[in-house]
Amino acid sequence: MSTQPEFPMESPLLSDQSRGIRTKARPVASWREHHGWSAAASLRRLMSRPVGTLLTVAVMAIALALPLTFYLLLGNLQKMGDALGQNQTISVFMQPGQSVSSADMLAKKLRERSEVAGVKLKSPDQGMDELAKMQGFSGALHALDVNPLPFVLEVQPKADASADSIDHLVADMRGMSGVDQVQDGGTWRQRLEALLGVGERIVMILAGLLAVAVLLVVGNTVRVDIASRHEEIGVLMLVGASRAFVRRPYLYAGIWYGLFAGVLAVGFAVLVELALAEPVQRLGQVYAGKLQVDVLPLWLLGAVPVAAAVLGWLGARLVSAWQLRKAA
Amino acid sequence: MIRFDQVSKRYEGGHEALSQLSFEVATGEMAFITGHSGAGKSTLLKLLGLIERPSHGVVTLDGQNLAKIGRAGIPKLRRRLGMVFQDHRLLMDRTVFANVELPLVIGGMAPHERGKRVRAALEKVGLLAYERQLPATLSAGEQQRVGIARAIVAKPTLLIADEPTGNLDPTLAVEIMGLFAEFQNVGTTVVIASHDLPLIKRMKKRVVVLDHGRLVADVAAQEVL
Repeated sequence: MSTQPEFPMESPLLSDQSRGIRTKARPVASWREHHGWSAAASLRRLMSRPVGTLLTVAVMAIALALPLTFYLLLGNLQKMGDALGQNQTISVFMQPGQSVSSADMLAKKLRERSEVAGVKLKSPDQGMDELAKMQGFSGALHALDVNPLPFVLEVQPKADASADSIDHLVADMRGMSGVDQVQDGGTWRQRLEALLGVGERIVMILAGLLAVAVLLVVGNTVRVDIASRHEEIGVLMLVGASRAFVRRPYLYAGIWYGLFAGVLAVGFAVLVELALAEPVQRLGQVYAGKLQVDVLPLWLLGAVPVAAAVLGWLGARLVSAWQLRKAA
Repeated sequence: MIRFDQVSKRYEGGHEALSQLSFEVATGEMAFITGHSGAGKSTLLKLLGLIERPSHGVVTLDGQNLAKIGRAGIPKLRRRLGMVFQDHRLLMDRTVFANVELPLVIGGMAPHERGKRVRAALEKVGLLAYERQLPATLSAGEQQRVGIARAIVAKPTLLIADEPTGNLDPTLAVEIMGLFAEFQNVGTTVVIASHDLPLIKRMKKRVVVLDHGRLVADVAAQEVL
Protein backbone atom coordinates (compact mmCIF):
# COMPACT_ATOMS: atom_id res chain seq x y z
CA MET A 1 0.00 0.00 0.00
CA SER A 2 2.87 2.36 0.76
CA THR A 3 3.85 2.81 -2.87
CA GLN A 4 0.36 3.89 -3.76
CA PRO A 5 -0.66 7.50 -3.94
CA GLU A 6 -2.57 8.67 -0.90
CA PHE A 7 -5.52 9.61 -2.97
CA PRO A 8 -6.55 9.27 -6.61
CA MET A 9 -6.57 13.01 -7.19
CA GLU A 10 -2.87 13.19 -6.46
CA SER A 11 -1.97 11.10 -9.44
CA PRO A 12 -3.04 12.27 -12.88
CA LEU A 13 -3.91 8.78 -14.05
CA LEU A 14 -4.98 6.13 -11.73
CA SER A 15 -4.21 2.50 -12.28
CA ASP A 16 -6.96 0.13 -11.30
CA GLN A 17 -4.77 -1.72 -8.82
CA SER A 18 -4.63 1.21 -6.48
CA ARG A 19 -8.38 1.58 -6.31
CA GLY A 20 -10.64 0.26 -3.65
CA ILE A 21 -9.62 -1.31 -0.41
CA ARG A 22 -7.98 -4.61 -0.87
CA THR A 23 -8.62 -6.74 2.17
CA LYS A 24 -8.18 -10.18 0.67
CA ALA A 25 -4.47 -10.16 1.43
CA ARG A 26 -5.11 -9.50 5.11
CA PRO A 27 -8.34 -11.19 6.11
CA VAL A 28 -7.24 -11.77 9.70
CA ALA A 29 -6.19 -8.17 10.16
CA SER A 30 -9.44 -6.90 8.70
CA TRP A 31 -11.43 -9.32 10.87
CA ARG A 32 -9.62 -7.99 13.92
CA GLU A 33 -10.17 -4.46 12.69
CA HIS A 34 -13.90 -5.04 12.34
CA HIS A 35 -14.24 -6.56 15.77
CA GLY A 36 -12.14 -3.93 17.44
CA TRP A 37 -14.14 -1.18 15.82
CA SER A 38 -17.49 -2.79 16.66
CA ALA A 39 -16.52 -3.44 20.27
CA ALA A 40 -15.31 0.12 20.75
CA ALA A 41 -18.24 1.65 18.85
CA SER A 42 -20.80 -0.25 20.89
CA LEU A 43 -19.05 0.65 24.11
CA ARG A 44 -19.02 4.33 23.14
CA ARG A 45 -22.70 4.08 22.31
CA LEU A 46 -23.51 2.63 25.74
CA MET A 47 -21.43 5.32 27.44
CA SER A 48 -23.13 8.05 25.43
CA ARG A 49 -26.38 7.34 27.30
CA PRO A 50 -25.10 6.41 30.75
CA VAL A 51 -28.42 6.54 32.60
CA GLY A 52 -30.20 4.16 30.27
CA THR A 53 -27.22 1.83 30.23
CA LEU A 54 -26.91 1.90 34.00
CA LEU A 55 -30.61 1.11 34.46
CA THR A 56 -30.46 -1.82 32.09
CA VAL A 57 -27.30 -3.12 33.71
CA ALA A 58 -28.76 -2.67 37.21
CA VAL A 59 -31.94 -4.60 36.36
CA MET A 60 -29.85 -7.40 34.89
CA ALA A 61 -27.46 -7.36 37.84
CA ILE A 62 -30.28 -7.72 40.34
CA ALA A 63 -31.72 -10.59 38.34
CA LEU A 64 -28.32 -12.26 38.46
CA ALA A 65 -27.62 -11.40 42.10
CA LEU A 66 -30.85 -12.95 43.38
CA PRO A 67 -29.99 -16.59 42.70
CA LEU A 68 -26.42 -15.92 43.83
CA THR A 69 -27.69 -14.60 47.15
CA PHE A 70 -30.05 -17.52 47.64
CA TYR A 71 -27.23 -19.86 46.81
CA LEU A 72 -25.12 -18.17 49.44
CA LEU A 73 -27.86 -18.40 52.07
CA LEU A 74 -28.45 -22.02 51.24
CA GLY A 75 -24.76 -22.81 51.49
CA ASN A 76 -24.59 -21.23 54.93
CA LEU A 77 -27.67 -23.06 56.18
CA GLN A 78 -26.23 -26.29 54.88
CA LYS A 79 -22.95 -25.68 56.61
CA MET A 80 -24.66 -24.80 59.84
CA GLY A 81 -26.72 -27.95 59.64
CA ASP A 82 -23.53 -29.97 59.10
CA ALA A 83 -21.84 -28.34 62.03
CA LEU A 84 -24.81 -29.05 64.27
CA GLY A 85 -24.94 -32.60 62.99
CA GLN A 86 -21.51 -33.26 64.41
CA ASN A 87 -22.91 -32.48 67.84
CA GLN A 88 -25.99 -34.53 67.39
CA THR A 89 -26.62 -36.68 70.48
CA ILE A 90 -29.50 -38.94 71.32
CA SER A 91 -30.58 -38.76 74.92
CA VAL A 92 -31.84 -42.02 76.42
CA PHE A 93 -33.75 -41.51 79.66
CA MET A 94 -33.96 -44.62 81.79
CA GLN A 95 -36.92 -45.46 83.95
CA PRO A 96 -36.56 -44.00 87.43
CA GLY A 97 -35.13 -46.32 90.02
CA GLN A 98 -32.82 -48.26 87.71
CA SER A 99 -29.58 -49.42 89.27
CA VAL A 100 -26.09 -48.31 88.29
CA SER A 101 -25.25 -51.76 87.02
CA SER A 102 -28.23 -51.94 84.67
CA ALA A 103 -27.37 -48.46 83.35
CA ASP A 104 -23.75 -49.59 82.83
CA MET A 105 -24.96 -52.70 81.06
CA LEU A 106 -27.18 -50.72 78.72
CA ALA A 107 -24.31 -48.30 77.98
CA LYS A 108 -22.00 -51.23 77.20
CA LYS A 109 -24.61 -52.80 74.95
CA LEU A 110 -25.00 -49.57 73.02
CA ARG A 111 -21.24 -49.00 72.69
CA GLU A 112 -21.00 -52.30 70.87
CA ARG A 113 -23.25 -51.12 68.06
CA SER A 114 -21.50 -50.14 64.83
CA GLU A 115 -23.38 -46.87 64.32
CA VAL A 116 -22.52 -45.60 67.79
CA ALA A 117 -19.41 -43.52 68.31
CA GLY A 118 -19.67 -43.17 72.07
CA VAL A 119 -21.98 -43.29 75.05
CA LYS A 120 -21.79 -41.03 78.03
CA LEU A 121 -23.52 -42.13 81.21
CA LYS A 122 -24.98 -39.45 83.43
CA SER A 123 -26.03 -40.46 86.89
CA PRO A 124 -28.97 -38.79 88.63
CA ASP A 125 -26.45 -37.00 90.88
CA GLN A 126 -24.58 -35.59 87.93
CA GLY A 127 -27.87 -34.49 86.47
CA MET A 128 -28.72 -32.79 89.74
CA ASP A 129 -25.35 -31.00 89.72
CA GLU A 130 -25.96 -29.72 86.18
CA LEU A 131 -29.38 -28.47 87.09
CA ALA A 132 -28.03 -26.87 90.22
CA LYS A 133 -25.59 -24.85 88.16
CA MET A 134 -28.41 -23.35 86.14
CA GLN A 135 -29.69 -20.16 87.61
CA GLY A 136 -32.92 -20.26 89.51
CA PHE A 137 -32.97 -23.98 90.02
CA SER A 138 -30.76 -24.43 93.11
CA GLY A 139 -33.39 -23.25 95.55
CA ALA A 140 -36.06 -25.48 94.10
CA LEU A 141 -33.75 -28.48 94.15
CA HIS A 142 -32.95 -28.08 97.78
CA ALA A 143 -36.62 -28.50 98.51
CA LEU A 144 -36.56 -32.02 97.14
CA ASP A 145 -36.09 -34.93 99.47
CA VAL A 146 -35.07 -37.45 96.90
CA ASN A 147 -33.38 -37.10 93.57
CA PRO A 148 -36.15 -37.61 90.99
CA LEU A 149 -33.79 -37.72 88.03
CA PRO A 150 -33.17 -40.93 86.11
CA PHE A 151 -29.94 -42.23 84.60
CA VAL A 152 -29.38 -40.63 81.22
CA LEU A 153 -27.29 -42.13 78.42
CA GLU A 154 -26.02 -39.62 75.89
CA VAL A 155 -25.49 -41.58 72.71
CA GLN A 156 -23.31 -40.03 70.06
CA PRO A 157 -23.85 -41.60 66.63
CA LYS A 158 -20.93 -41.89 64.24
CA ALA A 159 -20.59 -38.88 61.95
CA ASP A 160 -20.94 -41.05 58.85
CA ALA A 161 -23.96 -42.97 60.13
CA SER A 162 -26.89 -42.67 57.73
CA ALA A 163 -30.18 -41.14 58.80
CA ASP A 164 -31.84 -44.53 58.34
CA SER A 165 -29.43 -46.36 60.60
CA ILE A 166 -29.88 -43.70 63.26
CA ASP A 167 -33.66 -44.04 62.99
CA HIS A 168 -33.18 -47.74 63.42
CA LEU A 169 -30.97 -47.23 66.46
CA VAL A 170 -33.54 -44.93 68.03
CA ALA A 171 -36.31 -47.43 67.46
CA ASP A 172 -34.20 -50.23 68.95
CA MET A 173 -33.36 -48.18 72.01
CA ARG A 174 -37.02 -47.37 72.58
CA GLY A 175 -37.71 -51.07 72.82
CA MET A 176 -34.94 -51.85 75.28
CA SER A 177 -35.81 -52.79 78.84
CA GLY A 178 -35.35 -50.08 81.44
CA VAL A 179 -35.64 -47.33 78.84
CA ASP A 180 -38.28 -44.76 79.49
CA GLN A 181 -37.79 -42.19 76.74
CA VAL A 182 -35.52 -41.52 73.78
CA GLN A 183 -35.01 -37.98 72.59
CA ASP A 184 -33.59 -37.77 69.10
CA GLY A 185 -32.24 -34.39 68.07
CA GLY A 186 -31.76 -35.71 64.51
CA THR A 187 -35.31 -35.31 63.34
CA TRP A 188 -35.15 -31.58 62.98
CA ARG A 189 -31.91 -32.01 61.09
CA GLN A 190 -33.55 -34.34 58.63
CA ARG A 191 -36.27 -31.79 58.18
CA LEU A 192 -33.66 -29.11 57.59
CA GLU A 193 -31.92 -31.30 55.06
CA ALA A 194 -35.18 -31.90 53.20
CA LEU A 195 -35.91 -28.18 53.29
CA LEU A 196 -32.47 -27.39 51.95
CA GLY A 197 -33.11 -29.88 49.16
CA VAL A 198 -36.28 -28.00 48.25
CA GLY A 199 -34.40 -24.71 48.58
CA GLU A 200 -31.70 -25.93 46.23
CA ARG A 201 -34.29 -26.84 43.64
CA ILE A 202 -35.99 -23.47 44.05
CA VAL A 203 -32.66 -21.70 43.54
CA MET A 204 -32.08 -23.69 40.36
CA ILE A 205 -35.53 -22.88 38.99
CA LEU A 206 -35.11 -19.25 40.01
CA ALA A 207 -31.70 -19.07 38.35
CA GLY A 208 -33.21 -20.48 35.17
CA LEU A 209 -36.09 -18.01 35.20
CA LEU A 210 -33.86 -15.07 35.96
CA ALA A 211 -31.45 -16.10 33.21
CA VAL A 212 -34.41 -15.90 30.84
CA ALA A 213 -35.21 -12.48 32.33
CA VAL A 214 -31.64 -11.34 31.61
CA LEU A 215 -32.00 -12.61 28.07
CA LEU A 216 -35.25 -10.70 27.64
CA VAL A 217 -33.89 -7.47 29.13
CA VAL A 218 -30.90 -7.52 26.77
CA GLY A 219 -33.10 -8.58 23.88
CA ASN A 220 -35.55 -5.77 24.43
CA THR A 221 -32.84 -3.16 24.90
CA VAL A 222 -31.16 -4.22 21.69
CA ARG A 223 -34.50 -4.33 19.91
CA VAL A 224 -35.28 -0.74 20.88
CA ASP A 225 -31.74 0.26 19.92
CA ILE A 226 -31.99 -1.33 16.48
CA ALA A 227 -35.42 0.20 15.91
CA SER A 228 -34.12 3.66 16.76
CA ARG A 229 -31.15 3.19 14.45
CA HIS A 230 -33.19 2.17 11.46
CA GLU A 231 -31.82 5.03 9.39
CA GLU A 232 -28.23 4.44 10.37
CA ILE A 233 -28.53 0.78 9.41
CA GLY A 234 -29.83 1.84 6.02
CA VAL A 235 -26.84 4.14 5.52
CA LEU A 236 -24.40 1.44 6.57
CA MET A 237 -25.88 -1.01 4.09
CA LEU A 238 -25.72 1.63 1.34
CA VAL A 239 -22.02 2.17 1.85
CA GLY A 240 -21.37 -1.55 1.59
CA ALA A 241 -21.70 -2.94 5.09
CA SER A 242 -22.59 -6.60 5.29
CA ARG A 243 -25.36 -7.69 7.60
CA ALA A 244 -22.75 -9.23 9.86
CA PHE A 245 -21.03 -5.85 10.10
CA VAL A 246 -24.28 -4.04 10.88
CA ARG A 247 -25.14 -6.59 13.50
CA ARG A 248 -21.80 -6.83 15.23
CA PRO A 249 -22.04 -3.68 17.39
CA TYR A 250 -25.36 -4.92 18.76
CA LEU A 251 -23.85 -8.29 19.64
CA TYR A 252 -21.03 -6.49 21.41
CA ALA A 253 -23.56 -4.31 23.20
CA GLY A 254 -25.18 -7.52 24.47
CA ILE A 255 -21.80 -8.76 25.63
CA TRP A 256 -21.04 -5.47 27.39
CA TYR A 257 -24.44 -5.39 29.11
CA GLY A 258 -23.94 -8.96 30.29
CA LEU A 259 -20.39 -8.40 31.43
CA PHE A 260 -21.17 -5.22 33.37
CA ALA A 261 -24.29 -6.77 34.91
CA GLY A 262 -22.30 -9.87 35.87
CA VAL A 263 -19.61 -7.84 37.59
CA LEU A 264 -22.21 -5.73 39.37
CA ALA A 265 -24.10 -8.88 40.45
CA VAL A 266 -20.90 -10.33 41.89
CA GLY A 267 -20.43 -7.03 43.71
CA PHE A 268 -23.95 -7.32 45.17
CA ALA A 269 -23.33 -10.90 46.21
CA VAL A 270 -20.05 -10.00 47.93
CA LEU A 271 -21.86 -7.23 49.81
CA VAL A 272 -24.48 -9.73 50.97
CA GLU A 273 -21.65 -12.04 51.97
CA LEU A 274 -20.05 -9.32 54.06
CA ALA A 275 -23.37 -8.38 55.61
CA LEU A 276 -24.03 -12.00 56.54
CA ALA A 277 -20.56 -12.83 57.78
CA GLU A 278 -20.82 -11.38 61.26
CA PRO A 279 -24.28 -12.64 62.30
CA VAL A 280 -23.63 -16.08 60.84
CA GLN A 281 -20.36 -16.26 62.70
CA ARG A 282 -22.15 -15.41 65.93
CA LEU A 283 -24.85 -17.94 65.30
CA GLY A 284 -22.20 -20.54 64.63
CA GLN A 285 -20.44 -19.77 67.86
CA VAL A 286 -23.62 -20.15 69.85
CA TYR A 287 -24.41 -23.49 68.36
CA ALA A 288 -21.35 -25.35 67.37
CA GLY A 289 -18.42 -23.52 68.76
CA LYS A 290 -16.54 -22.99 65.53
CA LEU A 291 -18.29 -22.32 62.25
CA GLN A 292 -16.74 -20.77 59.16
CA VAL A 293 -18.99 -18.56 57.07
CA ASP A 294 -19.65 -20.16 53.72
CA VAL A 295 -18.46 -17.81 50.98
CA LEU A 296 -19.20 -18.00 47.27
CA PRO A 297 -16.38 -19.90 45.57
CA LEU A 298 -14.02 -17.81 43.44
CA TRP A 299 -14.73 -19.81 40.32
CA LEU A 300 -18.40 -18.92 40.63
CA LEU A 301 -17.61 -15.22 41.06
CA GLY A 302 -15.52 -15.45 37.91
CA ALA A 303 -18.06 -17.51 36.02
CA VAL A 304 -21.02 -15.20 36.64
CA PRO A 305 -19.77 -12.30 34.47
CA VAL A 306 -18.70 -14.71 31.75
CA ALA A 307 -22.04 -16.51 31.78
CA ALA A 308 -23.87 -13.17 31.84
CA ALA A 309 -21.85 -11.98 28.85
CA VAL A 310 -22.81 -15.14 26.99
CA LEU A 311 -26.46 -14.55 27.91
CA GLY A 312 -26.21 -10.95 26.72
CA TRP A 313 -24.67 -12.01 23.45
CA LEU A 314 -27.34 -14.66 22.97
CA GLY A 315 -30.17 -12.22 23.67
CA ALA A 316 -28.71 -9.67 21.26
CA ARG A 317 -28.13 -12.35 18.68
CA LEU A 318 -31.69 -13.67 18.74
CA VAL A 319 -33.22 -10.22 18.53
CA SER A 320 -30.85 -8.84 15.89
CA ALA A 321 -31.26 -11.87 13.65
CA TRP A 322 -34.98 -11.37 13.74
CA GLN A 323 -34.92 -7.60 13.36
CA LEU A 324 -32.30 -7.34 10.65
CA ARG A 325 -33.72 -10.15 8.55
CA LYS A 326 -35.24 -7.66 6.14
CA ALA A 327 -32.33 -5.22 6.02
CA ALA A 328 -30.58 -5.20 2.69
CA MET B 1 -18.09 -0.02 -17.51
CA ILE B 2 -21.88 0.16 -17.37
CA ARG B 3 -24.19 -1.58 -19.79
CA PHE B 4 -27.98 -1.55 -19.72
CA ASP B 5 -29.52 -4.06 -22.10
CA GLN B 6 -33.29 -3.88 -22.65
CA VAL B 7 -33.81 -3.06 -19.00
CA SER B 8 -37.33 -2.60 -17.64
CA LYS B 9 -38.37 -1.96 -14.09
CA ARG B 10 -41.95 -2.33 -13.03
CA TYR B 11 -42.72 -1.58 -9.40
CA GLU B 12 -45.34 -3.40 -7.43
CA GLY B 13 -48.62 -1.77 -8.29
CA GLY B 14 -47.82 -1.64 -11.99
CA HIS B 15 -45.90 1.62 -12.34
CA GLU B 16 -43.24 1.14 -14.99
CA ALA B 17 -40.23 3.25 -14.03
CA LEU B 18 -37.92 2.06 -16.80
CA SER B 19 -38.91 0.65 -20.13
CA GLN B 20 -36.57 -1.34 -22.38
CA LEU B 21 -33.67 0.90 -21.64
CA SER B 22 -30.39 0.22 -23.41
CA PHE B 23 -27.22 2.29 -23.15
CA GLU B 24 -23.58 2.05 -22.16
CA VAL B 25 -21.19 4.21 -20.20
CA ALA B 26 -17.48 3.73 -20.91
CA THR B 27 -14.82 3.52 -18.21
CA GLY B 28 -13.69 6.98 -17.21
CA GLU B 29 -16.71 8.64 -18.77
CA MET B 30 -18.92 11.15 -17.02
CA ALA B 31 -22.61 11.08 -17.87
CA PHE B 32 -25.68 12.95 -16.69
CA ILE B 33 -29.02 11.19 -16.55
CA THR B 34 -31.77 13.74 -16.86
CA GLY B 35 -35.49 14.04 -17.43
CA HIS B 36 -38.53 15.29 -15.57
CA SER B 37 -39.25 13.93 -12.15
CA GLY B 38 -40.55 10.37 -12.40
CA ALA B 39 -38.67 9.79 -15.63
CA GLY B 40 -36.73 6.94 -14.04
CA LYS B 41 -33.43 8.64 -13.15
CA SER B 42 -33.33 7.44 -9.57
CA THR B 43 -34.49 3.98 -10.50
CA LEU B 44 -31.64 3.71 -12.99
CA LEU B 45 -29.07 4.53 -10.29
CA LYS B 46 -30.77 2.19 -7.83
CA LEU B 47 -30.31 -0.67 -10.27
CA LEU B 48 -26.57 0.06 -10.34
CA GLY B 49 -26.27 -0.12 -6.56
CA LEU B 50 -28.60 -3.12 -6.39
CA ILE B 51 -31.00 -1.14 -4.24
CA GLU B 52 -33.54 -2.32 -6.78
CA ARG B 53 -33.43 -5.14 -9.30
CA PRO B 54 -34.71 -4.95 -12.89
CA SER B 55 -37.92 -6.72 -13.87
CA HIS B 56 -36.46 -7.50 -17.29
CA GLY B 57 -33.19 -7.08 -19.06
CA VAL B 58 -29.59 -7.18 -17.98
CA VAL B 59 -27.46 -4.62 -16.15
CA THR B 60 -23.74 -5.24 -16.48
CA LEU B 61 -21.08 -3.53 -14.41
CA ASP B 62 -17.42 -4.04 -15.28
CA GLY B 63 -18.46 -7.08 -17.31
CA GLN B 64 -20.36 -8.57 -14.39
CA ASN B 65 -24.05 -9.33 -14.76
CA LEU B 66 -25.63 -7.80 -11.65
CA ALA B 67 -28.45 -10.37 -11.73
CA LYS B 68 -25.82 -12.96 -10.80
CA ILE B 69 -25.02 -11.17 -7.56
CA GLY B 70 -27.04 -12.64 -4.71
CA ARG B 71 -28.09 -10.91 -1.54
CA ALA B 72 -24.84 -11.86 0.17
CA GLY B 73 -22.80 -10.31 -2.66
CA ILE B 74 -24.48 -6.89 -2.52
CA PRO B 75 -22.18 -5.38 0.15
CA LYS B 76 -19.13 -6.30 -1.88
CA LEU B 77 -20.60 -4.66 -4.99
CA ARG B 78 -21.46 -1.48 -3.07
CA ARG B 79 -17.94 -1.23 -1.76
CA ARG B 80 -16.81 -0.85 -5.37
CA LEU B 81 -19.19 2.06 -5.85
CA GLY B 82 -19.31 5.49 -4.39
CA MET B 83 -22.87 6.69 -3.92
CA VAL B 84 -23.95 10.26 -3.28
CA PHE B 85 -27.53 11.02 -2.33
CA GLN B 86 -29.61 14.16 -2.53
CA ASP B 87 -30.24 14.01 1.22
CA HIS B 88 -26.57 13.01 1.69
CA ARG B 89 -27.49 10.25 4.17
CA LEU B 90 -24.94 11.15 6.82
CA LEU B 91 -24.96 9.76 10.33
CA MET B 92 -25.85 12.85 12.30
CA ASP B 93 -24.52 11.56 15.62
CA ARG B 94 -21.02 10.94 14.26
CA THR B 95 -18.34 13.44 13.44
CA VAL B 96 -17.52 14.38 9.88
CA PHE B 97 -14.39 12.27 10.19
CA ALA B 98 -16.31 9.20 11.42
CA ASN B 99 -18.81 9.55 8.58
CA VAL B 100 -16.15 9.67 5.90
CA GLU B 101 -14.25 6.87 7.61
CA LEU B 102 -17.19 4.42 7.45
CA PRO B 103 -16.47 2.80 4.06
CA LEU B 104 -12.86 2.23 5.12
CA VAL B 105 -13.92 0.64 8.42
CA ILE B 106 -16.31 -1.59 6.50
CA GLY B 107 -13.45 -2.44 4.15
CA GLY B 108 -11.37 -3.49 7.13
CA MET B 109 -8.59 -0.96 6.74
CA ALA B 110 -6.14 -0.37 9.59
CA PRO B 111 -6.76 2.82 11.64
CA HIS B 112 -3.59 4.74 10.72
CA GLU B 113 -4.24 4.18 7.01
CA ARG B 114 -7.86 5.20 7.49
CA GLY B 115 -6.80 8.50 9.01
CA LYS B 116 -4.59 9.37 6.05
CA ARG B 117 -7.25 8.51 3.51
CA VAL B 118 -10.04 10.32 5.34
CA ARG B 119 -7.98 13.50 5.61
CA ALA B 120 -7.03 13.31 1.96
CA ALA B 121 -10.71 12.97 1.01
CA LEU B 122 -11.76 15.81 3.31
CA GLU B 123 -9.01 17.98 1.94
CA LYS B 124 -10.23 17.25 -1.55
CA VAL B 125 -13.72 18.54 -0.73
CA GLY B 126 -12.27 21.42 1.30
CA LEU B 127 -13.54 20.33 4.70
CA LEU B 128 -10.37 19.25 6.47
CA ALA B 129 -10.93 21.86 9.16
CA TYR B 130 -14.33 20.41 10.01
CA GLU B 131 -13.33 16.82 10.71
CA ARG B 132 -14.21 16.95 14.42
CA GLN B 133 -17.60 18.58 13.90
CA LEU B 134 -20.99 16.98 13.72
CA PRO B 135 -22.73 17.21 10.33
CA ALA B 136 -25.60 19.22 11.84
CA THR B 137 -23.24 22.13 12.44
CA LEU B 138 -22.42 22.35 8.73
CA SER B 139 -24.33 24.06 5.93
CA ALA B 140 -26.27 22.04 3.34
CA GLY B 141 -23.49 22.42 0.79
CA GLU B 142 -20.88 21.33 3.32
CA GLN B 143 -22.95 18.33 4.32
CA GLN B 144 -23.22 17.33 0.68
CA ARG B 145 -19.46 17.60 0.37
CA VAL B 146 -19.05 15.31 3.38
CA GLY B 147 -21.29 12.84 1.53
CA ILE B 148 -19.05 13.15 -1.51
CA ALA B 149 -15.92 12.64 0.58
CA ARG B 150 -17.48 9.48 1.99
CA ALA B 151 -18.32 8.28 -1.53
CA ILE B 152 -14.78 8.74 -2.84
CA VAL B 153 -12.71 7.81 0.22
CA ALA B 154 -12.50 4.13 -0.73
CA LYS B 155 -11.40 5.10 -4.27
CA PRO B 156 -14.34 3.57 -6.12
CA THR B 157 -14.14 2.91 -9.84
CA LEU B 158 -17.68 4.20 -10.26
CA LEU B 159 -19.22 7.22 -8.61
CA ILE B 160 -22.98 7.60 -8.83
CA ALA B 161 -24.91 10.58 -7.54
CA ASP B 162 -28.66 11.09 -7.29
CA GLU B 163 -29.56 14.79 -7.52
CA PRO B 164 -26.44 15.80 -5.59
CA THR B 165 -27.21 19.50 -6.06
CA GLY B 166 -30.95 19.27 -5.51
CA ASN B 167 -30.88 21.15 -2.23
CA LEU B 168 -28.15 23.64 -3.06
CA ASP B 169 -28.13 27.17 -4.36
CA PRO B 170 -26.75 27.64 -7.90
CA THR B 171 -23.25 28.75 -6.88
CA LEU B 172 -22.80 25.78 -4.58
CA ALA B 173 -24.27 23.48 -7.20
CA VAL B 174 -21.67 24.54 -9.75
CA GLU B 175 -18.94 24.00 -7.19
CA ILE B 176 -20.16 20.48 -6.40
CA MET B 177 -20.48 19.54 -10.06
CA GLY B 178 -16.95 20.80 -10.62
CA LEU B 179 -15.81 18.42 -7.91
CA PHE B 180 -17.39 15.49 -9.74
CA ALA B 181 -15.69 16.54 -12.97
CA GLU B 182 -12.36 16.45 -11.15
CA PHE B 183 -12.95 12.86 -10.17
CA GLN B 184 -13.63 12.02 -13.78
CA ASN B 185 -10.34 13.67 -14.65
CA VAL B 186 -8.46 11.12 -12.58
CA GLY B 187 -10.17 8.17 -14.19
CA THR B 188 -13.30 7.58 -12.15
CA THR B 189 -16.47 6.80 -14.05
CA VAL B 190 -19.15 9.25 -12.91
CA VAL B 191 -22.91 8.97 -13.41
CA ILE B 192 -25.10 11.76 -12.06
CA ALA B 193 -28.87 11.96 -12.09
CA SER B 194 -30.04 15.56 -12.19
CA HIS B 195 -32.97 17.57 -13.50
CA ASP B 196 -31.02 20.83 -13.46
CA LEU B 197 -30.68 21.32 -17.21
CA PRO B 198 -28.89 24.71 -17.21
CA LEU B 199 -26.25 23.29 -14.89
CA ILE B 200 -25.88 20.11 -16.98
CA LYS B 201 -25.42 22.17 -20.13
CA ARG B 202 -22.67 24.13 -18.44
CA MET B 203 -20.74 20.98 -17.62
CA LYS B 204 -20.39 19.87 -21.26
CA LYS B 205 -20.58 16.17 -20.50
CA ARG B 206 -22.60 13.37 -22.02
CA VAL B 207 -26.35 13.66 -21.31
CA VAL B 208 -28.81 10.78 -21.33
CA VAL B 209 -32.40 11.99 -21.39
CA LEU B 210 -35.21 9.82 -20.06
CA ASP B 211 -38.93 10.31 -20.44
CA HIS B 212 -41.38 8.01 -18.72
CA GLY B 213 -38.66 5.41 -18.37
CA ARG B 214 -37.63 5.47 -22.01
CA LEU B 215 -34.43 6.80 -23.46
CA VAL B 216 -35.40 9.74 -25.66
CA ALA B 217 -32.01 11.34 -26.29
CA ASP B 218 -28.34 10.51 -25.77
CA VAL B 219 -26.15 13.53 -26.38
CA ALA B 220 -22.37 13.09 -26.54
CA ALA B 221 -20.21 15.50 -24.54
CA GLN B 222 -18.91 17.41 -27.56
CA GLU B 223 -22.46 17.90 -28.86
CA VAL B 224 -23.73 19.59 -25.72
CA LEU B 225 -24.42 23.21 -26.56
